[in-house]
Amino acid sequence: MSSREKHIVVTLACFSLLLGYYLVNWIRMYQTVGLDQTTIFRLWGTVIVAGILVTILGTILTYIGSNVAYAIRTGKGDGEPMVEDERDKLIELKGEYASYIVFSLGVFVAMLSFVFGQPALMMFSLIVFFSLLSQVVGDISQLVRYRRGV
Amino acid sequence: MEKRQVRNNIRRLRFFQNEMTQEELAEKTGVTRQTINAIESAKYSPSLELAFKIALVFGVPLEEVFTYTIADKSAENKK
Repeated sequence: MSSREKHIVVTLACFSLLLGYYLVNWIRMYQTVGLDQTTIFRLWGTVIVAGILVTILGTILTYIGSNVAYAIRTGKGDGEPMVEDERDKLIELKGEYASYIVFSLGVFVAMLSFVFGQPALMMFSLIVFFSLLSQVVGDISQLVRYRRGV
Repeated sequence: MEKRQVRNNIRRLRFFQNEMTQEELAEKTGVTRQTINAIESAKYSPSLELAFKIALVFGVPLEEVFTYTIADKSAENKK
């Protein structure tokens, strides 16, 4: 498994957890107090900040972890070379394409909810949900292409 | 039109180059070992530039490394 694949696995795991956390908290909030503005803004803030931190920390930790593993495996102290070649770029592009499709679908569904008389908070909640889902789908798509071929 | 696919002789050519490893070939062509592995197992068709680089490393013409043959249906089914 290349360092890029490891990075994708870490991001996927983190964003899946984040998606789960968002869903559980949103459903709990919806069942107890409904769409409360203060609570929902706090939840969005938490999820967005956690998403940014997870991306940065995930990148750093994967880099350190894969370098340590490489040094132990090979005995070389210079670390694993971080080469990104044409295949990596193609897979990344296709992953982003899958992400955009899911996100576009999400925006459409969110707009539909608005059309059917749901409050604006519901629309924005759906957009946040689909943005997290699109990240997860993009990562899965990349992993599948790494395994099965482009 | 019949379905065709890019096939390659990289494994054989590596053998004749003193059993060159995928890692060495990857270093010489500026890609990762995983990419060489994917090309060798026909999971990825390289760009024209990378194909020329690989041929250059082996010192053979491009058509000796890559061929565009009719797809093997039994192999397709196995996938």
